Amino acid sequence: MIGPMKNIPHESAISHVTGEANYVSDIQLHNNLLWGHVYFSPKAHANIKSYDLSEALKIDGVVDILDIKRIPGINQLNALSHDEPCLADGKVSFIGQAIFLIAAKNRETAILASKKIKIEYEELESILTIEDAMAKSNLLAPTRRIETGNPDEAMKSAQFRLKGKLSTGAQEHWYLETQSAMCVPGENRNMTVYASSQNPTETQNVVAEVLGLQSNQVICEVKRMGGGFGGKETQANPIAAWAALLADATQQAVLMQLSRDEDQKITGKRHPFLSNYEIGFDENGIITSYIVDLHGNAGSSFDLSIPILERAMFHAENSYFIENMRVTGTMWKTNLPSNTAFRGFGGPQGMAVIENAIDRIARFLHKDAAEIRFKNFYQIESKNLTHYGQLVKNNKLPIIWNQIIKSSDYFERRQQINHFNASHQIIKRGLALTPIKFGISFTTAFLNQAGALVLIYKDGSVMVNHGGTEMGQGLHTKILHIAAKELGITKDSITISPTNTSKVPNTSPTAASSGTDLNGMAVKDAITTIKKRLKPLVYRLLLAKDPTIKPTNIIFKDNYVFPKSNPAIAISFSDIVKQAHFEQISLSATGYYGTPGIFFDREKGKGKPFHYYAFGMAVSEVEVDILTGNTKILQTDILHDAGKSIHTEIDKGQVMGAFMQGVGWCTTEVIRYDTKGNLLNCTPDTYKIPGIGDFPLKYKAELLNNANNPNAIHQSKAIGEPPFMLAFSVWLAIKDAISAVSNHTKEPDFSLPATKEVVLISIKKLKESL
Amino acid sequence: MNTNCIQFILDNEAYTIDWSKVDFPPSTTVLQFLRSIPKHTGTKEGCAEGDCGACTVVLAEVNQNNKLTYKAIDSCLLFLPSIHGKQLITIENLATKTPTSTSLHPVQQAIVETHASQCGYCTPGIAMSVFGMYKSGKTPDKNLIIDALAGNLCRCTGYGSIIDAAELTCKSIKPDHFTQNESMIREKLIEINRSGDAIELSFHNQLYFLPKTIKQTLEFKEKYPQAVLVNGSTDIAVRQNKTSEFQPQIIDISAVKEIKQIITNDNDFQIGAGCNIENFKIFIHENFHEFSPITDHFASLQIRNIATLGGNICNASPIGDLIPLLIVLKAQVKTASSVNTRIINIENFITGYRSIDLHNNELVTEIIIPKKDNDSHYYSEKVSTRRDLDISTLSIAASIKLSSAGNVEDIMLVYGGLASTVKRAKLCEDFLKGKRFTLEMISEAIQLINNDFTPISDARSTTEYRIEAAGNLMLKLFYSVQLNNNNGF
Repeated sequence: MIGPMKNIPHESAISHVTGEANYVSDIQLHNNLLWGHVYFSPKAHANIKSYDLSEALKIDGVVDILDIKRIPGINQLNALSHDEPCLADGKVSFIGQAIFLIAAKNRETAILASKKIKIEYEELESILTIEDAMAKSNLLAPTRRIETGNPDEAMKSAQFRLKGKLSTGAQEHWYLETQSAMCVPGENRNMTVYASSQNPTETQNVVAEVLGLQSNQVICEVKRMGGGFGGKETQANPIAAWAALLADATQQAVLMQLSRDEDQKITGKRHPFLSNYEIGFDENGIITSYIVDLHGNAGSSFDLSIPILERAMFHAENSYFIENMRVTGTMWKTNLPSNTAFRGFGGPQGMAVIENAIDRIARFLHKDAAEIRFKNFYQIESKNLTHYGQLVKNNKLPIIWNQIIKSSDYFERRQQINHFNASHQIIKRGLALTPIKFGISFTTAFLNQAGALVLIYKDGSVMVNHGGTEMGQGLHTKILHIAAKELGITKDSITISPTNTSKVPNTSPTAASSGTDLNGMAVKDAITTIKKRLKPLVYRLLLAKDPTIKPTNIIFKDNYVFPKSNPAIAISFSDIVKQAHFEQISLSATGYYGTPGIFFDREKGKGKPFHYYAFGMAVSEVEVDILTGNTKILQTDILHDAGKSIHTEIDKGQVMGAFMQGVGWCTTEVIRYDTKGNLLNCTPDTYKIPGIGDFPLKYKAELLNNANNPNAIHQSKAIGEPPFMLAFSVWLAIKDAISAVSNHTKEPDFSLPATKEVVLISIKKLKESL
Repeated sequence: MNTNCIQFILDNEAYTIDWSKVDFPPSTTVLQFLRSIPKHTGTKEGCAEGDCGACTVVLAEVNQNNKLTYKAIDSCLLFLPSIHGKQLITIENLATKTPTSTSLHPVQQAIVETHASQCGYCTPGIAMSVFGMYKSGKTPDKNLIIDALAGNLCRCTGYGSIIDAAELTCKSIKPDHFTQNESMIREKLIEINRSGDAIELSFHNQLYFLPKTIKQTLEFKEKYPQAVLVNGSTDIAVRQNKTSEFQPQIIDISAVKEIKQIITNDNDFQIGAGCNIENFKIFIHENFHEFSPITDHFASLQIRNIATLGGNICNASPIGDLIPLLIVLKAQVKTASSVNTRIINIENFITGYRSIDLHNNELVTEIIIPKKDNDSHYYSEKVSTRRDLDISTLSIAASIKLSSAGNVEDIMLVYGGLASTVKRAKLCEDFLKGKRFTLEMISEAIQLINNDFTPISDARSTTEYRIEAAGNLMLKLFYSVQLNNNNGF
């Protein structure tokens, strides 16, 4: 039966709980596996004057050490912009840049060898912060701009204006499985890469490039990742390239896995932003003009910084219609590991600024911030055009607002909190409602494509290959559901193969929340092709049983094929398949999907970059200890739009996981560097992602009912990233509680994350100003 | 069994490691060992420092009542010899399997049913922590669940479904296949543990001793004065994992039973230095609950199950969580060597940054804590970035005794995290002594914090925060006296 499919467990759930689920470093295929190790730059910016590997090579158990001269192909890790050397070329530009590669019999030996490498540097001045980069005009790329209406005029004539600055912090992905790859050399220098990569095609391309091979000589396979979150979209490529170089040089299988500390030190993070804004509004809190300059710290190379900046600019207005608006965006180049994709992909950084600005408007006008938000929401019939010229269709904001205001008892609790704060001196409570509107699609339009390969075997069992990767988000489970529904068979006769570039070529990364949208459609397309081939046969077989049936009304369901008019004559799916094979009908097909109608003119700053939007809202209540700055989430209510959910439990799991990851970014996750560019929070000892004790005391999340999305597979909606930003409800509830110290008369100093330091120092300043 | 071996139970069978035959040193961690043998890669390395719990396994051992007790521990922090004479239970052992079918343990079944695994990498560790709770003999409630899982990080789920899984599991705790095998395992463990001889392991670059008594320990100390002493090894193992710091000589006192007990006397408590932090936490809860805000949030259950009171003191870290409260309680440290014993006031025992008054041939055997002074008011708080599984940004343990007139007769304000050692705010204390205990006086005293301490800015926090919060903690002490009600937060 297909009915209970809604709640089937994750397709790997049993392997997960028994420990049988294999990750890269669990593969036990090769007895003579070598350990690969990278010698990283300890300097943020320096010339390499000289080096000597001879002592290191003498260590027993060291098989080889590679420098730049030993790269047979191109010394590049970035398939597109070609601005990331695979191994340092006479110069290092961030701490953690790879200089040498070591292959040894085990990790201990490799570490011992790395300590024997002699190298001399000539240190150069380094640029670490956005402010440093601005002072030295160290732009990564020219400033971008999107504008609508007449923001300058409207600002001048605004009844009220507020100016401000907001910094939002970096965030370490902290996937549980650190970056890893195993490379196995084959005949004629061919290479098989077992990767933990969101982007197997790009991993394949990068490996081929450094080895000087063609893509058809490299296979990249991804069974699953132990978490990705964007951190393995581009940044899984280096370790695969390094392992491949060592495997090619030694002609032995090589495993590399970064230690946690290495991973934290050398991989990129969510881009920290520093943003300046001015917002004009009237006495009712209606925003009349918004001018914002977003500045991101890109790190040492392009990576994905420009599309991330673009998404930040597309989300600078969040859920609000702003008639006159200008957003500029600049990425600054610094001597840090190149910052990269992270759930939300710039969206959170752009949205944080407007959310904080609206919060200020409310305090300025002595009104509830939720009301100001409501008044500025995009509308259905009018006031529905974004600053980049896309219509906001199927807008769910009003309906979500109406429901969550009631289900969370927002206004009643506002009163209760006011009473609580009036009678408590040490503990203050805060409340905030925040909305999200998140655009779904890669903003780099051509990436919105996917491929699939569906194989039906003679016994009726099915293997589905598609270009998406499984990182815990449940993509394979949803694909299983889609395939079962399309083929009309039960999921126990379907397996999803590991993602493999020799099965489906030229895939886009599993990113931008698009995994199910794109790959689900491609799988459906492949199945449609096979069903088309089967239908004449099916019709003939059924017609023999009942001559009155029509060829148009044949149904594939519950492992049987039958005419709608006469289900009693059903033939089993496996019998059909068997017969098809005898009759020389092909039982495999590729499928393809490209999202239609997506474009964006960067010169004009106008277009339709998104296929559709996802919406959601959260209400959070927090408690703040005003003497320590410690915070606790008392309650969170979420209502999120997942379209017609393919799997409600997986979607709710994504909502909860994204929300808590957002809570981490908004509260405890702090990245500090010293003046030399060393990351101080480079271990989980000092970098604190949320733990189980940080989960809200009360938590209720619902998916919006009757929210069919006409634009996507089975009317569903993308779910991976949007709920991340629901955590702004916690961030601004903390600010609300701080503000209670001044009885909401003063605007607190605030930034993101709202660590206990930010909270306490903000409270200290508030008290001093009273 | 020859002398260069340890033996433990894995997969229900006795497993012997003979260091004459293997090519890894005795101080190999249990995690490294598991991942090197076939079919045991379910136990994951997430951080190699006890900060994520992905490597959680459960150790079963025979207790004083001749029953098996089950404890979740981080296998990355445990040296192999310390599991001698114990049963090592890994994720692979939970389900019962035939060649064609798998019957999940209730703990695993609940995780599947509540959709509590996403990427799956933390899941084995989560399952083992829940399993440890399942076998603890306790009746789990939400607090116990949070406590049992605070040592397991998950980056995917956001934890709600994991809480659901644990609640579902604990609704009906029933005998499982471990219960069925218990007598067989117990007999095997008793057999392995029969010998009272110390174990001496010799590898080409490492000597590793596993004494069973204080006497044996002191003999090793006498003979190998440079040997590093470990019990839970939660600190030394991290250094080995992270900085490749290799110890050529190790004396592991985790098998010395004499130093694990808690004895209640008329006037004091004698607590063995080998008492694990979890047991000490329970002791504090029962006898000095005002300090539970510190002990309840000490690391994680996996770490508290192996880390010891003696280890925390002898590390002498400025952020050692137990030291402030021991100073307030006027604890004494008892040491033994083969020639004499000494009793030292804990304030004198700690001589500087990570330095203590302990000679090479000595062992800390117990901590003596006087019984509660009912006239004193106690207060404590630990401030950290994350509530659980985090090291203090700063902490306070304090006592105050007021005269009937409301004047301060005696006061101790002991701070962690503000100096190179745990340190008293002496100027603040002296200022307050003899004064009336009022908000005005406290506010004046707080001004002296700057003279008592010049804390640093580091990865965890800033000077400005530490000074501001240190003063505020004094205010919280004041309010707690006012309320006579130590709320913490």
